Order: sequence, then structure tokens, then C-alpha cells
Amino acid sequence: MVGVAFTVFLAGSFFRLISMWRLAKKKDGLIFSYISIFFALRSIVHWILPFAGVSMRKHPAMTIVAFLFHVCLFAVPIFLSAHVILFKESWDISWWRLPDMAAEIMSWSVIGSCLFFLGRRIFLPEVRYLTSLSDYLILAAVAVPFISGLWSYHQWAAFQVVMIVHIISGEIMLMIIPFTRLSHMLFFPFTRGYMGSEFGAVRHAKDW
Amino acid sequence: MTKQKHNFCLAIEFFRKISSMKQTKILFYSVFSILFLLVGAFAAFSQEDIETVNDSAFENQTRPPVVFFHDTHNENAAIEECNACHHMFEDGKRLDDDDSIGMECSECHCSKMKDSMADLIRVYHLQCGGCHLKQKTGPVMCGECHRKR
Amino acid sequence: MTKRSVQNISTIPDEGIDKGAQRLTPDQVSRVIRRHLEEEGGARLKVYTETCVHCGLCSDACHFYLSHDHDPKFSPAGKVKQTLDKIIRKKGRVSIDFIKKTAEIAFTECNLCRRCVMYCPFGIDVAYLMLFLRRICHKLGVVPQYIQDTAHSHAATMNQMWVKDDEWIDTLHWQEDEARDEIPDLRIPLEKQGADIFYSVIGPEPKFRAQMIYQAAVIMNAAGMDWTMPATPGWDNSDMCMYTGDEEMVARLKKVHFETAMRLKTKRIVMGECGHAYRSVHDVGNRHLGWKMSPLPVMHAIEFYYELFKDRKLKVNQKYDAPVTLHDPCNVVRGGGLHEMARYVINETCSRFVEMHPNREHNYCCGAGGGVINCGPPYTNKRVVSNRVKADQLADAKARGAKTIIAPCHNCFGGLEDIVKHYGLGMEIKFLGDVIYECMDKE
Repeated sequence: MVGVAFTVFLAGSFFRLISMWRLAKKKDGLIFSYISIFFALRSIVHWILPFAGVSMRKHPAMTIVAFLFHVCLFAVPIFLSAHVILFKESWDISWWRLPDMAAEIMSWSVIGSCLFFLGRRIFLPEVRYLTSLSDYLILAAVAVPFISGLWSYHQWAAFQVVMIVHIISGEIMLMIIPFTRLSHMLFFPFTRGYMGSEFGAVRHAKDW
Repeated sequence: MTKQKHNFCLAIEFFRKISSMKQTKILFYSVFSILFLLVGAFAAFSQEDIETVNDSAFENQTRPPVVFFHDTHNENAAIEECNACHHMFEDGKRLDDDDSIGMECSECHCSKMKDSMADLIRVYHLQCGGCHLKQKTGPVMCGECHRKR
Repeated sequence: MTKRSVQNISTIPDEGIDKGAQRLTPDQVSRVIRRHLEEEGGARLKVYTETCVHCGLCSDACHFYLSHDHDPKFSPAGKVKQTLDKIIRKKGRVSIDFIKKTAEIAFTECNLCRRCVMYCPFGIDVAYLMLFLRRICHKLGVVPQYIQDTAHSHAATMNQMWVKDDEWIDTLHWQEDEARDEIPDLRIPLEKQGADIFYSVIGPEPKFRAQMIYQAAVIMNAAGMDWTMPATPGWDNSDMCMYTGDEEMVARLKKVHFETAMRLKTKRIVMGECGHAYRSVHDVGNRHLGWKMSPLPVMHAIEFYYELFKDRKLKVNQKYDAPVTLHDPCNVVRGGGLHEMARYVINETCSRFVEMHPNREHNYCCGAGGGVINCGPPYTNKRVVSNRVKADQLADAKARGAKTIIAPCHNCFGGLEDIVKHYGLGMEIKFLGDVIYECMDKE
């Protein structure tokens, strides 16, 4: 099961990147001419540092939540001690583990962030207008593994069932990354890098 | 005293069976919690009957210790030979006529310099969970053994 | 209330769109769009439309959104949602009315200023997506009448304003004559081989603002530049076809422009104060011809003036005294990074400078660029109403003392004129060249 999920995620991501690469070669050849590693990195760095850009400074709450969310979203599943132990059991590989307390706080942060994003979708008109069912589903796909994970950790009612939910929802989230809007994880460096190159090398301007 | 212990385990087994029926699940957990409290109180007076898996190598425990009733488990699982679990290896070969009774797992499994806590945890999990999986019976999820009190 | 007023502006009759739509059948629409998606929809289209997570952060970038009381229909992603998202989802099977609406949004509710690119965490280029839509409209023949007329003019005359070949030469002679009253030995050198500078302007300069050619000649003369202008088509550096989606014409126009500069064996192209022409020559047109960058050096007027002052080629008699503020045009600032040079020139020529906020790359668009002003009178009111935020920004600069707005771009100049008039701001607008001409030592 886990193997299937990882395979779908990795193979799917690989497939999406390769097919997009080929499509770009065929239809958007200019990307390859104009991409500049220096300016691509310059732009990416400015967008992965909190408050480095004007847009981020204009929305401090969104910036803090978005960064917290993404950091925790990556760190918890990878460094959660229970997960590391499972990897150790299955493949005899292990790495640094998060203290349980930290992992717990971070998981609550993810859930809180999801609620914040949900709130934006519901209460901010400009976001509500753009939101469709799929956006809610994706938000749920991210939140459910964390809610069920905490639930199982605390061994609340029916945690055995919730544990199954946790495993399946986690695997679903992993598997849909390449095929939904979650693929911004894969494409972010390319879209940002390309824009950074155009702005930096051709237009001699900042893009943050 | 052992009989009492036995009955309690049967009760757990019984409730676990009902727990597979959805409607009774909530009922089960409330009953189970009450039972747990009772047992907890009871346990305070009869420490030697309830056994947990302990190893002096686990200094900072991050999960509740595993509740493990040695005799009941072996009776249910029909384990006759001590070295089915208390195994002994020599030069990578398992010795059929020797066992490791009285030793802590960490004495072998956490003896080398490169061994980490994760290695010890791993062998414990594989020893218990691995067999449960193989036999298709017994708990395998984290919280099923590392029960919170 | 807001919604109703938006509805009202949204049903603007336009001969080009209405007549064009009358000729279409639903079958044609879906066939053309499907083919277009297949032929020209590449990785950028796919990634941009599939990774947008609908966070709404682009909204704050858009002057349409800000000016329409934060109506989400005017946010960059909101405009994409109304148009391109549906087109892709339905694989082109959309109604003719939908196409009319799409044309109105793509042509008149986005200035392609790319400000939103700086607010989207992923750097999604909404201007690219809007241009993609405009090209669909172009292929369907549903383009606002006024801008389509300029595109026709480009195709027929290689200039934007139906200026005939002899009229062009006449205009130059006329301006030379006028200027010689002031500076007797001044020349506007026509067809000079091997000159250092090929000076090109946009069609509207000889048509409506001939004095700008006069001023440029005076500046060139005083700085002692070796320059020339051609007597043949190719003098016009403007490019409305870039904005109607007629990319084949973009290539033809730029080819003629570059080839004329090369026929005269000039060393570089210096352009008048126009933003979109700079975008076309420096960034877009060269790509359509297969050049990574322009085949010979291209300089926008700002860059050229900067060079003249830096090299002490021009002297200032008396600095311009009224406090000035600078409008950073999108195509030369976000599209060319010339903002500091513009400030240098202002510093050399004006005694008091007031920044407007936001400024530089983050300046609000004038609302006229991207071909929107070229869509003509039917949309003037909408365009001005849709840029209240610019009026507020100007009013703020005015409150801090600014009396003159310097707008080094023709479209910005026109757009700001309309805004200043509509909102009663009472500010004067000048090109950078106007200011230089006024205060320079002409000998």
C-alpha cells in the first residue's frame, strides 16, 4: 500500500515533469533560451523567504500561516518519530526524528492553517469567487491525514478505525500531488524560475 | 489470581470482537474506558500480575510501555518453546537448543556501537508485530500495544 | 450597487466585436479554439492554468480590481476563471455570446501590465493568458473595432496611423522647417547611411504629436549626435498587432523595422518615449523573428537621455521648477528596468521631485496600455472609471506637492490625461522630452 502510494507519487511526478518538459520543448522552446539559473534562483529565493516580497508584506497573516503551513506540512510526515520508526522497520533506514511534542504542535499548526485557508475561501470575496468544489476537496485531502494522525496518536475514540483513515488519506494525498493543483509543489520552481529569468535577464526588473 | 487475569483477557477478546460491529462501537469504548479505569485501580494493588515490556535500554520512553501478559499470550498463541521468542543466535545461526531467558533484548540488539535506539525499537516491533502479521492475529497498530493510560 | 454598475459597463456595443460575432457559427468557434489550443497551447498554458491554487493574492495587484471596490470579477485570476478556464474545460464548445464577453474582458479589462506576476507566488503570467485569449479572438475575427483598425493600418502601411509614405517625409520636413526658426542649422537627417543612431517613433507622433519629433531633433542637435530617420516604411516602431493577437503581423512589422535600421547601416536604434513599442522591439517582436534579443542594440528614450546627461552631452540652463512626480510605465519599468535612469534624468532636469506610491516596479498601471486605449471611444469611460486607484495615487502625490506628472510613454500619457480630466485632478502631464526641451541649453 505504502509502496503503491510512493510509486504513484514518484512515478506520477516524474511523468508530469517529463511530459511537461517535452511539451515545453515542442511548443514553448523559448523557455529554454531565456531561462537563466542566476535570475531563476534570485526569484525563487525571494519567494521562499518569508516577507521578502511586497505581496508577502501586504498580507502578513497569510504569509505567516502559509509558511508555517508548508514547513509543517513537509516536516511532520517526514520527521515524525512514528513514521521514521516505520521506515526503519520496513527498510532499515532511519533519520532524525522530531520530538513528539514538536510534532504535535506542528500538526495542530497544519490543521489551524487549513482552517485559516478555509476561512479565506469562505469569507474573502476575491477568494470565494475563485473557489470551486475541487479547492475544498484538496484542502480536505491535506487536512484529513493530520486530523486522523493526531486522533490516532492520542488514541481517542475508535482510533483503530481512524488509523486506517489516516493511512489511506495520507496515501491519497501523496498520490494526488502530481495530478491536481497540489502539483504546484512540482512546478513552483519552474514557473517562478522562468518568470524570474524573464524579469531579471530580459526586463532588468525585480519580480517580487 | 491467574484465573482472574485470564478472565479479564477473555473479556478484552470478547469486546474486541463486538467492536467490529459499528453500532456498538461507541458503547464498547465507553464500557472499555470504564473497565480500563477499574483495571487501572486494580492494577495498583496487584502489580506483579500485569506485565509490561521493559528494557533498561529505553531511558526516555516516548510511548506508553506495552502491556503484555506473558502467560496468557503464550497460552492463546499456543507457544510451547521459550526460545520461540527468547531466541539465541550464534554466528548468525539460530540455536534450536538454547535460549536467552533472563536477558534483555538490548543486551544483544543494542550492543554494537553503531546500533541506535531505532535499531532496538525496530527489533522489538519486528519481534511482536512481525509475528502478529505473520500469524494474522494480534495487534499491529501503534496504539494497540502502546496504550495510553 | 457595484454589481449593477459593472453590468452596465460590461455590455458596451462595439462594431468590431458585434459584427465579428455575427459572422460566427458555434461550430466554427469550437473548431477554431480546439485547433488553437492544440497548436499554440503549450506547457506555459497548461502549467499556469493547472497550478493556480486560487489563493486570490493576485487581486491586490490589479488596478481594475482595486478600482471596482474589490469586485472579484476584476481580479486577474477572476478574469481567467470567467474566460480561459471555461474555454479549456469545455474544450472550446462555448457560445458566441461567451466569445463576445471573452473579447471584452481580454481586450478592455486587462492592460497586460504584468503587475500581478509580482503578486502571484508562482509567477503565473496572466498577461500571457490574456494574450492567448486575444489571439483566439483574433483568429475568430472578434476584435474591438478601433484597435483592429490600427492593426489593419499596420498591415497595409507598416505604420499604425495610415500615414502615407510621402506624408511621413513631409512631416519630417515640416518639423525641420519649424525647428530651423529656432535653431538655424538644425537638420533632421533622412536616409543617412552609417549614422550612429536610427531614431524611430510611433505612428501617432507624425499624426498627432509632431512637435515631439521637433523636440527630439533639438535634443539630438544640441547633444551633437550622429543620427538619422528613414524615408521609407519601417520608421514606425509601434505594434498594435502585438495586442490584437496578430502575431504574424508582429513579425512582419519588426522585420521591416530592424531591416530599415540595418539598410541604413546604423549602429543602434533609439526609440521615442513609447512603452509598448519598447516591449515590441526589445522583448516580443525579436522573438517572433527568431532573435533572442534584438539584432542591434535598442534604447528607449529614457536610456538615451540618461546617457546624454551621464556623458555631459546636454547642459541644463535652468531646472524645471514646478514639483514633478514620475509615473513608471509598465513596459519600460517592469519590462525594462529603466526606473532609476528616469529618476537620474529627472534629478538632472527638475529641481523638485515627489515620488508617487507605490512606485518603480510596483507602480499602478495607467489603465491605457496593453492596447486598451486603442480600443477607442466606446471604452473610454470604462477605462477611466476602472482606474480610480490611479487617480487616488496621483491625488496623494499632488497633496504632497507634485504639480506635474512625468509620463515617459505615449499610452500612459494619454491614459493619465483622461484620468486627470475625469477626476478633476488639475495636474499637468509631460513627457520626459518635454521637460528636457524646456530646460536644456539648445546651443
